[in-house]
Amino acid sequence: MMNLFSFPKGGPEISDEIVAFDPETLQRKPVKKADVIATFLALDNRRAAAIVEEMAEDSDGTLNESAADKLLVKVHCEMQRMSEEFQHGERAAQLLEPIIEAIVEAGHEGPVRIVDIGCGTGFVIRWLAARAKFSKVVELMGVDFNTALVAQANTLAGKEKLNCRFVVANAFRLKEPATIFISTGVLHHFRGDHLTELFRLHESARVRAFVHFDFHPSFFAPFGSWLFHEARMREPLAKHDGVLSAVRAYPSVDLLAAARVGAPAYSSAIYGTQLWGLPIPRAFHSLVGMLPQLREGFISRMGNKIRSLGVIE
Amino acid sequence: MIFILLWVLATLDSAFTGYREAAGRSALINKRSYYRRAMIKGALLGQTAVVSTGLIGLMAVATSSRPQSMITDFESAGERMLYVYVPYAVIILIAFLVRIIPSVDLRSITSTVIFGPFTLLRPLVAFAGVSWAILASSKAATRILCVLVLCLMLSLGQVLRWTNSK
Repeated sequence: MMNLFSFPKGGPEISDEIVAFDPETLQRKPVKKADVIATFLALDNRRAAAIVEEMAEDSDGTLNESAADKLLVKVHCEMQRMSEEFQHGERAAQLLEPIIEAIVEAGHEGPVRIVDIGCGTGFVIRWLAARAKFSKVVELMGVDFNTALVAQANTLAGKEKLNCRFVVANAFRLKEPATIFISTGVLHHFRGDHLTELFRLHESARVRAFVHFDFHPSFFAPFGSWLFHEARMREPLAKHDGVLSAVRAYPSVDLLAAARVGAPAYSSAIYGTQLWGLPIPRAFHSLVGMLPQLREGFISRMGNKIRSLGVIE
Repeated sequence: MIFILLWVLATLDSAFTGYREAAGRSALINKRSYYRRAMIKGALLGQTAVVSTGLIGLMAVATSSRPQSMITDFESAGERMLYVYVPYAVIILIAFLVRIIPSVDLRSITSTVIFGPFTLLRPLVAFAGVSWAILASSKAATRILCVLVLCLMLSLGQVLRWTNSK
């Protein structure tokens, strides 16, 4: 049985360490297998080190890129199952609909472009393209640094003839800028000041709104996450990173504080920390932010769901 | 009736095993037909466990010097299994009924509280039902059949995993 409580709280996930990209050029950088193993051993995360040890390497000691990509595609496919089971597409659509309507009502010209940051194989964007009943002005786009994940997302979208696209790009430097940023399970990867910096980039990219979904930390979250990943995941990497994500996810107050410091031009709030107002924690919470002029339009369209929204300011 | 109920439960369990083993292998969005095929595949594979156990049971009855006593022993063991398996199945089916309600929260709760934990509990429940049946049985043939059906049902997932990964 996985030793749940041996995970270092601040340690990285395996998927953070086995691939590296130059943030300027987006070029892939080689990753030395021995360095990754040493990183995890230094953090006393022997399980992660053992998982990396099993990965294929090239003759120069770097992790084999195509093997690492293949593994990540497989892991994302397993993670998608969890998103499906927890109705994540529907959850995203329910929050995005009133935001889109508020943006259109406020006189936004041109397409409302929803950009999923760190989209992986693009489940959320593809789900929205397949099922959401958005206005025709909405464009759906996913961005990620990983070429293999983006290629897989495009292949999957093509198979189902979905009206969305995926590109290898920096979300904050798009030629066609985003109107709304979304992400799932991405925020906890930005540690310390990097999280505040991420929100600063929201301001400089001039998006109208953002919705970031992540695990909601609670007393039960690590055990619940362990239980689910044991029951549902097959790849050891997926099990490891899934549990660690829940362990190091940010509390709502920390997310909100970072958003308000990094992006003070937006009204922001946390959505959905408790079920039906009862002291039952949700598995996910969402950080919602928007330009102040959109706030009233958004609130008026939330209907009963407004009860799950924290103070938006 | 006891044997019919056990057959229904075994078929349901193997169909859901088919679903479970197929899940997380296709990243498409629309995959109702994919899951339907997976469940049929699981249910059909489950029939091999049911049929082989049934045939061995029939042989045991046919070769027994006291066939009625053998049948009574099978029924007694089967009844005990049902006492364990029916409540488990009812809880799962109730969770499916709740999932019909179009609520993100309710559906998530069925996963958090029922589907996830009960997936992990399944081997233990299967073992508990068979153990209790064995305790009630007085014949070696019944005990052997109980162990056989347990092994076959628990190995379904492994066989499907093997075929799915090919």
